[in-house]
Order: sequence, then structure tokens, then C-alpha cells
Amino acid sequence: MDKLKTGIKNFDNILSGGIPVYSLNIISGSPGSGKTILVQNIIFNSARDGLKSLYLTTISESQFKMVRHLQEFEFFSDDFLGDKFIYGDLGAVLRKQGTEKVLAYLTEMIKKHQPNILVIDSFKAIRDIFPDEKTFKAFVFDLAAALSVWEVTVFLIGEYEEKELTQLSEFAIADGIFHLYGQGEKRFQKRYLRILKMRGTHFEQGEHLFQISSAGIEVYPRIKPEGKGLQYEVRSGRKGFGITELDEMLSGGLKEGTITLISGGTGTGKTALALKFLLDGAEKGEKGLVLSFEEPVVQLIDNVRSLGWELDKYLADGRLDIRFISPIELDVDKHAFEIMDMVGENRVDRLVIDSISSFESSVIDLQKYKDYLWALGQQLKRRHVTTIFTVLNEDLFSPVVVTKAQISLMTDNIIILRYVEDDSNVKKVLGILKARGTNHNKDFREYEITPNGINILGKLDRANMLR
Amino acid sequence: MNDYVDKRIERFETLLKEIWTASEKYLGTFSVKLLVERAVWDLSAEYREIELLQCDEGGISCAEIAASVKKNPNLPVDEMFTKFITKYVEILARLVGREKTDKIVKKLNEEFGGISFNL
Repeated sequence: MDKLKTGIKNFDNILSGGIPVYSLNIISGSPGSGKTILVQNIIFNSARDGLKSLYLTTISESQFKMVRHLQEFEFFSDDFLGDKFIYGDLGAVLRKQGTEKVLAYLTEMIKKHQPNILVIDSFKAIRDIFPDEKTFKAFVFDLAAALSVWEVTVFLIGEYEEKELTQLSEFAIADGIFHLYGQGEKRFQKRYLRILKMRGTHFEQGEHLFQISSAGIEVYPRIKPEGKGLQYEVRSGRKGFGITELDEMLSGGLKEGTITLISGGTGTGKTALALKFLLDGAEKGEKGLVLSFEEPVVQLIDNVRSLGWELDKYLADGRLDIRFISPIELDVDKHAFEIMDMVGENRVDRLVIDSISSFESSVIDLQKYKDYLWALGQQLKRRHVTTIFTVLNEDLFSPVVVTKAQISLMTDNIIILRYVEDDSNVKKVLGILKARGTNHNKDFREYEITPNGINILGKLDRANMLR
Repeated sequence: MNDYVDKRIERFETLLKEIWTASEKYLGTFSVKLLVERAVWDLSAEYREIELLQCDEGGISCAEIAASVKKNPNLPVDEMFTKFITKYVEILARLVGREKTDKIVKKLNEEFGGISFNL
């Protein structure tokens, strides 16, 4: 089936290539949810592909105001007005000639302009003019049939509430239903869209984050935790830290394509250990990426240098990349998608997210946070990316509480770093709590972080270490 | 000569009725009527007389075209109807898919061996 490419970032992907041509689609949502901008973004992108759109308004804003608002967006171009973007006032026909003339007017406009896309904004306003539901229903069915023979892809925009989407007659005839809505989180007013129905094409269900910027609409598809994500090939290779004793404890290193949690209290060296893992990969020609949500890039590089590790040459040749994302700006839905984008584009072999505690603090809904990490973990496994999540353990002397959200359940390997008291001294110990498919060493080993790197020392024999 | 043209129009009318019936199964009467109106509009710039093709819920009729031909015997009847049917099946193919339309085209080619209605 031929598709109308929307040209909107990631939107065509969740629609398996675009919106089926000649389909009738309803764009619903409350005022300010972004319905009109979404459709206008589509039609201006389509204009660049040579497609013509007929935009009919009913009782909404005037063309003057609409054009003024549109000028804010990069997708807008004056050149298309009157040529690829034809504006018409359906409201005047409704007011002066009544509802029975609407079909005839639409047909005449289509004959005159022969558009590829027809938009009625707002369709809900037409519904309100009809005397009763029965008459409106008959009109809706006639409209759908009349528009379909003219080979136009139709967008009907309306201020519908979610509960109306299953009740009103126009939704029965629609081939596609897109519902836009907002939701407040701690720091962000977020926008979501859901595709409730789309005949003739596969589409990604669930809520997808979108944002409106000067570029127009940008969609961040939901990362799915189920389905295909569960199937991935397990590889037998191992990836080490380049710390002999630790790699021996892990029987050669972390299994390729697994997720490892490094949990520890503040100052235990979680970030240093994770970076050492990437540096070892870089030395072997593998690509590594650090997403730092806590330390800016310069600070991170300084810390690495203080351990005597050379990373500049790897940063220069692209084997290592460090990105800082401010936790203040962290938006889990958006960044989960962007992380997969970066991993895919750079063909990353080893990834470090430092730390997932920042994720945790950016969402209200703990279940949602777990779902995202689960989904992210699955996507990374499918791509055979060997990943380390660092997590802050706020209880400095407890090794057992790995994370608040029980993220440990979804990881393959867990390395804990903790403090212990020993003769009025505070020492650091490292232990491997879990290493799936590996006969790992069960000892707690003392370690030290020096200007020459990380040294794993001997086994620390202290009773009650796990209390 | 007139008898010959009348018979040709009659034959096209029979064919159009068969197309109408075949399309109705997929689209329903209302949509078929709209589709005929669309094809008429598309072709009317070339042959004004095609606008005389009548259709309603009861079916399709070429009576007014036949009457018009008597006043204008030079009207290329075969060409006009062939183009109309071709246009109709082209639009139909785009709307309902090639597979379903192929059945109609096959029937047309069987009925009108001398004229090819290829998509």
C-alpha cells in the first residue's frame, strides 16, 4: 500500500513508512495539544514532495493568524501558500448555506484544486452544528465515501476528549485515529501521542513522546519491552576490564552483550571502574560510549587522567566518546530513544550509563522507570552491546540493597563496591554478586584506587560482610 | 449507420451495468455512484457528452448519450466509452487494490475482445 510520508522525525518509523494514502484520519486532542501543528508540519513537508493540500477551517483561527503562527516554524515556507497550500473557509459555507451544502462544497473544492491532502480544522465544530447525532452520522458516512473516490488523504482535526474516541460516529469511519495529550512530570510538561487505529499498516502501539520546537514536531517512539525484544542471540565472547585480577574473578570478563550493574556508595569508584572497562575495549579497537548524567565531560576526563589512564588518543580517533546530559534536562522518554540512536549510529560495542540513579530521580512513576530500563536493556542486548549501568547505593556500608527499584533483577551481572571498617580504617571491597552463566569468584577483595589505576588486592576475611 | 452506433452504445451500456454490479459487491451502491461521477468529471474535459451518462441507485443508463449521438453522429463513441471504462478501473484499482480490479478487467477483456482494457 502506498504511504504518505509525513517527513516528521521518527513518526514515519512508528507508522511503518507513513500514513496509507487515501485514508481518512482523525487527529484528536484538547486545545493546545499540538494537533494543528502536527498536521501543518505534515502538509508543508508534503508540499516539498510536490503534494498539494487543501486546508479548510470551520470556526477556528483566521488564515492571517494561522500564517503568523506558522512563520515560527522551520517547516513553513511562504512559497507554498496559494500553490501547494490552499486555504478555504468551510465555516462560511456552514453558516450561510447550512450543513446540507457541505458535501457539495467539498466536492467542488476538490474538483477545482485537485489536492492530495484535505484537512478540515475543526471537524468537531461541524458536529456541533448538526441538529442530532443521527443526521450527523449519515453526513459522516456520506463524507467518507465522497472523499475516498477523489483519492485524497484526509485529516479531520477535532478537540475530542479521550472518552469520546470510542463513542462518536466519526471514529467508526476513520481509518486512522491519532490522539494527542499532555502529561505533567516533575520537571517537564510532556506531550504524548498514541495511534489508536491505523488501517492498512502496522504501527507501534502505546504512547510516544513528542515535542514541539522551532523545527516542528519531533517524535520519540516508545521503546518496547516486549515482543521481538525478548529474542536475541547470546554470544560467547567476553569483554574484560583490563584489570587482571578482576577479569580472573569474572572468568575472563563480562559476557558479550550483557548488562552489568556496578553498585556502590559515593566515592567507591563506580565511574572509574566503568571507564576502565571502556578503555580496555578501546585498546582492543572497540567503540565505547559514556553517557554521563552526573559529571561534565571535562571533569570526567580530568578524573581519568588522574588515574594515569590515557584516553585522549581514543577520544581523537572516535573509539571513545563521552557525552554529558544534564540531569536537570534529563527526560527519560526522550533520552532512552536518543541513547539507542547514538548506539546505533556509532556502532558502539561497550556502553556506560553513569548513573541510572539520575534516571530514577527524573520520573515520578517508578514502574515507568523500571519499564524503560528493562526496554533499554533488551534493545542493547539485541544489538550485542556490553553495557554497564552504574548506580548509587546510598547506604554506604550495605552491599545488599543494590537499587531502590530492584533493577538488579533485570541485569545479568552485579558488581558491588562498598566500604568496610577494619581496625578503625575504612577500606574498599569489591565483590561479584551475580554473573549470569559464569562460575565467578565469590570472594570479597579489597581494592584501591591510585594514581596508577585500580588495584585489586587480597581477599578480606571479615565475618558478617553481608549484613 | 445509426443502428450500428445504437448497438455499440447498447453494448457499452450492458458492459457498464456489469461493471456497476461487480463494483457494487465491494463498494456498495453509494460509493459506485460517486466513483462513476468522479470518472465522468475526469473525462468531461475531453468529452462533454460523457456528462450525459446517468446513474442513480437503480443503476446506469446511456439513453441520453444515445439521443445526443443522433444529433452529433461524429462523436467517437467507442473511444469515449473505452476511455471512460479505463479511467473507472484505474481509479478503482488505486482505491481497492489491483487484485480485486483485475477480475473486472479480465471480464471486460473477455466481453470486448477487440478492445484492450489494460491497467
